[in-house]
Amino acid sequence: MNWDDLLLMRHELQLLAVILIVTCAEIYLSGRDKSRIIPLSLALFGIHMAAGWLWPVEGELFGGMYRTNGLIHLMKSILDVGVFIVILQAGGWARKQLAPENRVSEFFLLIWSSLLGMYYMVSAGDLLMVFLGLELSTLPVAALAAYEVLKMRSAEAGIKFILTAGLASAVTLMGISLLYGSTGTFVLADLGKQMQGNSLEALGFIFFFAGVAFKISLVPFHFWTPDVYEGAPVSVAAYLSVISKGAAVFILMILLMGFAPLLTDLWVNVLYLLAILTMTIGNLFALRQRNLKRLLAYSAVAQAGFIMLGFMSSQQDGKASIIYFMLVYLFSNLAAFGVVQTIEMHTGKEDIGDYEGLYRTNPRLSLVMLLALFSLAGIPPLAGFFGKFFLFMTVASAGYYLLLTIAVINTVISLYYYLLIVRAMFLRKSDNPLPLVTSDGWMRAGLVICVAGIVALGVASGVYDAIYALCAHL
Amino acid sequence: MYDFTTLVQSIGNFLHGQFSPGVATALEWTLVILVYLALYAILGLVLVYVERRVCAFFQLRLGPNRVGWAGTAQTVADALKLLLKEPVTVNKADKLLYNLAPFIITLAALTVISLVPFAKGLQAFDINIGLLFIVAVSSLGVVGILLAGWSSNNKYALIGAMRSGAQIVSYELSVGLSLLTMVLLTGTLQLSTIIETQANGWWIFKGHVPAIIAFFLYLTASIAEINRGPFDLPEAESELTAGFHTEYSGLKFAFFFLAEFVNMFTVAAIATTVFLGGWMPFHLGDWAGFNAVMDFVPPILWFFLKVSAVIFLMMWFKWTFPRLRIDQLLKLEWKYLMPLNLMNLVFTAILVYLGWHG
Amino acid sequence: MEKIIFYILSAVILSLSLMSVLSRKLLRSAVYLFGVLTAIAGFYFLIGYHFLGAVQLTVYAGGIVVLIIFSILLTHDIDHQMPTPDWSRVAVAGALCVAGAVMFVQLLQGSLFSRVEAPEQSDLNTVGNTLLNPGGGGYLLPFEVVSILLLAVMIGAIVIAKQRHSVDDSSPEKQAP
Repeated sequence: MNWDDLLLMRHELQLLAVILIVTCAEIYLSGRDKSRIIPLSLALFGIHMAAGWLWPVEGELFGGMYRTNGLIHLMKSILDVGVFIVILQAGGWARKQLAPENRVSEFFLLIWSSLLGMYYMVSAGDLLMVFLGLELSTLPVAALAAYEVLKMRSAEAGIKFILTAGLASAVTLMGISLLYGSTGTFVLADLGKQMQGNSLEALGFIFFFAGVAFKISLVPFHFWTPDVYEGAPVSVAAYLSVISKGAAVFILMILLMGFAPLLTDLWVNVLYLLAILTMTIGNLFALRQRNLKRLLAYSAVAQAGFIMLGFMSSQQDGKASIIYFMLVYLFSNLAAFGVVQTIEMHTGKEDIGDYEGLYRTNPRLSLVMLLALFSLAGIPPLAGFFGKFFLFMTVASAGYYLLLTIAVINTVISLYYYLLIVRAMFLRKSDNPLPLVTSDGWMRAGLVICVAGIVALGVASGVYDAIYALCAHL
Repeated sequence: MYDFTTLVQSIGNFLHGQFSPGVATALEWTLVILVYLALYAILGLVLVYVERRVCAFFQLRLGPNRVGWAGTAQTVADALKLLLKEPVTVNKADKLLYNLAPFIITLAALTVISLVPFAKGLQAFDINIGLLFIVAVSSLGVVGILLAGWSSNNKYALIGAMRSGAQIVSYELSVGLSLLTMVLLTGTLQLSTIIETQANGWWIFKGHVPAIIAFFLYLTASIAEINRGPFDLPEAESELTAGFHTEYSGLKFAFFFLAEFVNMFTVAAIATTVFLGGWMPFHLGDWAGFNAVMDFVPPILWFFLKVSAVIFLMMWFKWTFPRLRIDQLLKLEWKYLMPLNLMNLVFTAILVYLGWHG
Repeated sequence: MEKIIFYILSAVILSLSLMSVLSRKLLRSAVYLFGVLTAIAGFYFLIGYHFLGAVQLTVYAGGIVVLIIFSILLTHDIDHQMPTPDWSRVAVAGALCVAGAVMFVQLLQGSLFSRVEAPEQSDLNTVGNTLLNPGGGGYLLPFEVVSILLLAVMIGAIVIAKQRHSVDDSSPEKQAP
């Protein structure tokens, strides 16, 4: 293994180094200095993220088990940004809640191991690595969901997550074994060639898809989402809603569009149905939620449905619109979760009713929330509009007009409940509104990055073009 | 000299000549099973007798040395008592599991002795991964102990079972690691080949310091794994009446009892095979005359001599050391034996890498 | 002969797994599972994959089932039985299972499994060389990723089980007079 090979696996090796450094820091720092791990972790991860963007390279390692190219590099870097914002927003929470219990570093370590799993998953060259990456990205999150284990809800979230995840990976494994039985190979590149498009392969693929759909929380597999989001710490919910989902979308995209051309008809039909179901059910359930975390959970389900629109076309535009939408969704959703986290940490309130009159006491937080929600709903000129616009364009150019109509109707429904929150914050007056909340510096930095992302992505058109160019080859 | 391969083969040929292949195979299997069952029972009886005697000598107990000729009647009395006792069943026990537990333990103990090479060609099951298989199967016995403790519906039994679970799971690691150290030296897991690598000297002599360390680590850890004193916490009489088999009597109790003694034999046999050259005779450098005399002693005798020596060592431990407390026990494993084992493993790996091993 | 053993093992696995699912006593389920896993090890020995069989015994039968039983022991209540489910649920679940099984068998019957050349011998050298080979056909990367996975899961387990006490109470400076 020479220098070039190391460079090829740069993301993974860097992250592994960060993980090991923080582990050592945890071991050697005495109890009082443990809170110093927070800035250390953030700094290390910041360096890792910055270095990750540089020099995209292309190649294969370990006999094709690990592969990377410009697009995969971009995916990893997007995940990096998301994780960086999540841990930035969690900084204050970690100092306040975790440091007294001496559980700071484990939080970062678990998030990073999960991220490492996602790296290996999107870089996987064979199904074995896909599965291992999926496991590595899922299991630590179960511990994270149960992180505040003394709270009943958090423990419940952990249990629910691990049970559903266990079932999902069992089904995935069954699917993989069927695919292997039918084609006789694990290697993705050969898999596409060996496939004959028979029904056994279709069944194997559907089983495999079920495991990934669990992570994206598509509709028949979404039942865990609201409970886990509500019970888990807010940063973990944010992580689940953006990073975990993003990685699963990426791997699904790589597999469907890169390696399974024979099953195209099948998955277009399946995803057509699932997209409609997911959008509609997610939105309809979101309408009834009063708890903001649950509302965001159902909104995340609905957004997953929108993402599926991009899969209607396996051309360049489909890929580009998915990745662009993920990027936009990342900033918007993390901004919303950041605001919820700030308010919850300082006041413990998380109902829509509690947000009444928020603008009077916390104008800046309300503005951030406003931007985030508008972007999620897709109101121009914010980035969210363009994200949805490109997805709709993909559907239209593929010729699915019925789907497009349903998607537009769903956008309107989602606008309604996003505006409910906005109305509570800006228009409603409350006798005892929430007090002024001063967020800590890290949270503020995280929110600033999110807002900058929302605004800048809406303005800068070059981003989409760059992604489009990268999507030329998967 | 003294090669059993031809004998075993001729029995096989005879059977295949007389019967059709399927029947012959089935007969062969039955024969092997019967032989091992007999061996199992005889080993149990002999070891009970030896244990009684050794214990009596160590602690100046009068009985076992006086009954019958050299105390032989003691074993007979023991066996009769166990056979004739009423099999008491606890009313609120989970009957199925209660009755299943002794069999699981017996099965694990019996399977393991099928791998022991008694002499050249005298081994029932000589597979490629012998040592790994032994570690694997001996780890199944703990299921029986846990079941016995739980299904008895008795708090002493339950505590005993929990203790033994924690103990066995922990000490299994050390057993595995110390054997792994030796595998680095032998380069194979197959028991017959391991013995052949020791034709020019036993591993404990030619394996330098690591082999000696590994031998003692293995002995300590496996004594703990088979729940023998000074690590017999699961059945500590002074605190837990009789631990996990408190509620068993008669023959079912005898099963536990037998399994414990046979396990002791297995541990000694593995130690003999891996460290002490198995059935290889003792040789001293270039002393041709001495070596020839040693060769004259049958290998099977060598094997049992070595095993008896190790068993005596284990009994010596049991009757002279005080019993450990549970926290001391776990501390010993996780804080001392395990790190030592890992260091030893790395050290041996370096030795092997440099090519300094025999 | 091998066929007979195969069918015996299959029957054991099927019946024990059914019993394990249907039993309403927790520990019995675990014990049936133990039987299933041991019988699967029997399959591996039957086809001559001794290494896999031994690993199956160590990891599943000797490791995981022991952990499961251990955790059941911590909930010591020998009389505990799971509630009997409604007959309607049983009926629906049973119908779904049968439908799934029928569809599955149909699919398997209709399609040919592509045969993969089994390695000539599955002795330890082959296993070791394949496992630690960084090149094509080797499994070094998954091997290492699994080790990271285990580390991560261990950290997760520790953090959930960790005692909750504030740092200040436990720090030695404060306890010293």
